[in-house]
Amino acid sequence: MLNTIATVILLLMGLSLIYVLYLTIKGRPVERRIVFLYIGFGVMLPLLMKMTPPLPITSDVQRLYDHIITLPPGSKVLCAFDYDPPSAPELHPMAVAFVKYAFKHNLKLIIMGLWPQGPQQANMAIAAALEDPAVALFPHEQGVDWVNLGFQSGNEFVILSMGSEFKRMFPRDTRLIPYDSIALLKNVVNFSNIDFIMNFGAGYPGTKEWVQIGVDRFKAKLGAGNTAVQATEVYPYLSSGQIVGLLGGMSGAAEFEKVLGEKGKATTFLLAQMFGHATVMAFVIIGNVAFLVLGRKKKDAAGNN
Amino acid sequence: METVGIWCGAILTLAIFSFLYKDNPVYKACEAIFIGVSAGYYAIVYFFDSIYKKFWLGAVTADQPEEWLFGGAILGVLFLTRLFPKISWVARWPLAFIVGATAGLYMVNYFVTNAMNQVASTITDVIARGDAGDINWIQSFGTLVILVGVITGLMYFFFSKEHKGAFGGGAKVGIWFLMVTFGASFGYTVMSRMSLLIGRMDFLLGDWLGLIN
Amino acid sequence: MKNLFNMSRFKIVFTVCVLLSLYSFVNAQAPAVTTVGITPPAPVTELTAVDTDNDHGHSITVKWTPSADDGAGANNVLGYRVMRSNSFEGPFNDTVGVVPLGSTNFENSSSIEEGAEGFIPDNTDFYYRVDALTGDSLVFSSSEVTGPVHSYGQWFNKGLIPVFFAVIIFTALTVLFVSAARKGKELYVRPLAGIEAVDDAIGRATEMGRPILYVFGLGVASDIATIASFTILSRVAKRVAEYQTNLIVPCYDPIIMTVAQDIVKTAYMDAGRPNDYKEDAVFFITQAQFAYVGAVNGIMIRELPATNIYMGKFYAESLMLAETGVVSGSIQIAGTDEIAQIPFFVVACDYTLIGEELFAASAYLGREPLLLGSLKAQDYAKAAVLVLALLGILAVNFSGDLGLTWLVNFKDWFKVID
Repeated sequence: MLNTIATVILLLMGLSLIYVLYLTIKGRPVERRIVFLYIGFGVMLPLLMKMTPPLPITSDVQRLYDHIITLPPGSKVLCAFDYDPPSAPELHPMAVAFVKYAFKHNLKLIIMGLWPQGPQQANMAIAAALEDPAVALFPHEQGVDWVNLGFQSGNEFVILSMGSEFKRMFPRDTRLIPYDSIALLKNVVNFSNIDFIMNFGAGYPGTKEWVQIGVDRFKAKLGAGNTAVQATEVYPYLSSGQIVGLLGGMSGAAEFEKVLGEKGKATTFLLAQMFGHATVMAFVIIGNVAFLVLGRKKKDAAGNN
Repeated sequence: METVGIWCGAILTLAIFSFLYKDNPVYKACEAIFIGVSAGYYAIVYFFDSIYKKFWLGAVTADQPEEWLFGGAILGVLFLTRLFPKISWVARWPLAFIVGATAGLYMVNYFVTNAMNQVASTITDVIARGDAGDINWIQSFGTLVILVGVITGLMYFFFSKEHKGAFGGGAKVGIWFLMVTFGASFGYTVMSRMSLLIGRMDFLLGDWLGLIN
Repeated sequence: MKNLFNMSRFKIVFTVCVLLSLYSFVNAQAPAVTTVGITPPAPVTELTAVDTDNDHGHSITVKWTPSADDGAGANNVLGYRVMRSNSFEGPFNDTVGVVPLGSTNFENSSSIEEGAEGFIPDNTDFYYRVDALTGDSLVFSSSEVTGPVHSYGQWFNKGLIPVFFAVIIFTALTVLFVSAARKGKELYVRPLAGIEAVDDAIGRATEMGRPILYVFGLGVASDIATIASFTILSRVAKRVAEYQTNLIVPCYDPIIMTVAQDIVKTAYMDAGRPNDYKEDAVFFITQAQFAYVGAVNGIMIRELPATNIYMGKFYAESLMLAETGVVSGSIQIAGTDEIAQIPFFVVACDYTLIGEELFAASAYLGREPLLLGSLKAQDYAKAAVLVLALLGILAVNFSGDLGLTWLVNFKDWFKVID
C-alpha cells in the first residue's frame, strides 16, 4: 500500500517538476525553498518502496574484494574505525558487511579508532552483524575472534607509534583487559604481524594518514572505505597502488554488499539516493534556465532604459 | 529509555530542519543545545583519554611509567600561561614544539606519499596494450588525459611566471582540468550529503515512526 | 647363576643404549615422521635468515623457496612452521611463526621491551629451520638449518635515499631563495584575484557599517593552511584596525584562538589603535564540527557581516557556511587546500583561492623573505618534478627506440615502496 502511494506521489512530483520548468521559462520562477520540499520527498518516498535498482560493480570495489578473498582463515585484520555518527549512513553499512564477511571466513578483527566515537561505531557494527542469525552461527568470541582496543588520541602519531608496538598505544582493550592477556593479540607486536588493514575513514585522521604511515612506512596492505567526500582525495592512492581497493560513499557500500552477497542498508538506500540525485539534476537544469531567462530579461530591461 | 532517546532525536532533527524555512527560536534553541552538549562531550572525552588514560595511567600510576609523558604534561601546562598576560609568551614554546614535530613528521611522509609515489605512477606507458599486444585505445586515451592534466595542472600552480602566451595557454588548459575535477568532486559530495539525509530519513521513518524495517 | 644374571642385565642395558643412540641419531638427522598413508612433503630449500633491513632492530627475516609439493607434486603442503634455536644443533623447540602455503618469507619481530614475550635481543646469534606442514601434525619435513644470524638496528633507512636527496635539494633551494629575498632581491609572484579583492571587501564592509567575519575552518595550529591563514588574518586585521571596522573571528580550536588573539592585538597596535582592540572579537565556540557550523551560521544570520573570509582547512561544513553567507548577502572570499571543499567555495563564493594559491597569497600579502623564498623554492621544485616526469615518460615510452634501455628503470628512482 505504502509502496503504491509512494510511487504515485513520485510520479506526480516528476510531472510537477516539468510544470516548474515551464513556469521558469515563462519568467515566473518559483519560491526557491520549494527545492527543500522536493528533495525531502524525493528521498523519503523511495524508502517506502521495496525496489532495488540495478547496480554494476566498479573496479575499485572489485579490487578490494579480490584482495579480501585471498586472506586465508585465521588472518589478522586491523580495522580502523575513523568516523563518527554523522558519517555513519555511508560507512556503517560497509562496516557491517565487512564484519559479517570476517566472521563467516574466520578473519580475526583487531579494532581500534583514531576518532573518539570510532570504537563505539565498531561495537554497533558488530552488534548489527550478529543480528543476522547466519552470521551468529560462526565463532565470534571477544578476545578470541575479535577485540576492540578503543580510541587513542594523537592522530597520525598513534599510527607511527603502532609501527613499533601496538601495546604502547593500546595497553588494554575496551573491557580494560591488559594487552598481553588477550588471546587474539598473542604474537601481535606491530604491523608486520598483521595481514591486512581495513580503514573506514570520514576525514582527518583517516585513510590518507594510514597510507602515509601504515603503507608507505611500514609496508602494510590497506583497503579503504570512505565517505564520498573523502573518496575523491583518496583516488590518487588507488591508482598508484598504495591502497588495494576503495569503497566510495553509499554506492560503494551497496556494491560491497552485493559483491559479498550481504544485502544491507546501503542496498535499500540506493533507490532513495537515485531519486535524490534525479531531483537535484532536475533543479540544476531549472536553475540554469532561470539564470539564463532572468539574465536576458535584465539585459532587455537595461537596453530599454 | 531508548524510546525517550529516539523521541528526543526526532524532535531535535525536525527542529534543525525548521531552519530550511527560516531562522526561528526553535532552531536557535537546538543550536545552543548541540553546541553545549558537544563542548561538554569533547571535554569529557579528552579529559579521560588524554589526561586520565595517557598521563595518569601511563605515567603516574603505571608499573613501568613512561617518563617522557611528564615532559608532554609540562608542555601542556605551559599552554595555560596564555591566561596570564605577563607570562603569556611562554605558551609559544609548546606551540613551537607541536608545529616543529608535525612539520618534521610530514616532511618525509608527504614527500613519499604525495610526491614520489605519485610521480612514479604518472611515469607510465602512454600506449596501453592488451595481452595479445593490440593497442587498448580507451586506456591509452585515459593515460594521455591524465598526463596532460598533470602537466597543465602543474603549470597553473606556477607562481613565478605570469600566465601569458603559450605558458598561459597551458595554464588555462590546467584550470579547465581543475574545474572538471571540481565538478566531479562536487557531484560525489552531493551524493555524500544525500546519504546523510537518507540516514536521517531512515531514522525518522524507521526508528521513530516504524514505517520501514 | 649370578654371573649369568649379571650378563643378562648387561645385555639389556647395552641393547637399550644402542636403541637410544640409534633413535637420537635418526632424530638429529631428519626429524620427519611418516605415518601410514601420508608421505612427508619435500622440504623448503634455499633457506636464508638475515637481519630485517631498515628497522630499529629486534627483527629477523627468514626467506625460503617453497616446497616442491606446495601447489604441485604431491600437493600436500598446508603451511610452514618457522622454528628457532640458540644453537645449530638445536633443540628447535621455539615456534616463532606459522604461515600459509605459498609463503616465501616470515618476519620474526618482537617488542623493544626487554621483558616482553618473545623478545628478540639484538646482537644475539639465532638459528632457524622451516618445517613444511601437512594435514597431519605428525607429518612434516624440516629444512636445513640456517644461521647464525643476529638482529640489529640501522641508523639510516636506505629505502628512503631518493627522499633524502629530494629533501636536500629542496632545502638548498629554499635557503638560496630566502637569503636572496633577505638581501632585498625582488621575487616575483603573479597577482591573485582573490587577494586583490580582500582590500575592496574590507572597504565595502566599512562603508556599509557591517562587520567582517573571518573563519579559520576546522584546522589545527600545525596545519599549513592554518599557518597561511594567520598571515592573511594579520593583513586583514591591520586594514580593519585602520578603517575601524568590526572584526569577528569565531574559532574551532583553542590554540588557534590564542594565536589569532595575538595576531589581531598586534595588528591593532601596529595600526596605532591599541584601545580599539576588543578582547571578545576572537573567541572559541566548540570543537564539534557541525555545532561550530551552526554557531557560525547563526552569527552570519544575526550579525549580517558584509564580508566573509574563509581561509584555512575546511571539511563538510564548507558549503553550509558559504550558502548561509550567500543568503545573508555577504561578499565571500575563500581559500583552502582541501580539494573536496574547493568546488563548494568556487560555486558559492565570489573569489576562491585554489589549493596552493592560499600559500602563495600568504607570501604575497606578508612579503616576508621566508614565505617568498619558500614559495620560489616550491616553484622550482614543481618545475623539476614536471621536467623529470616528462623525461620519465619519454624514457619509458621511447628508451627502446633510442637504445637507452637503462632508462626503463627511471621511474624506480622515485619509488620508495615495494
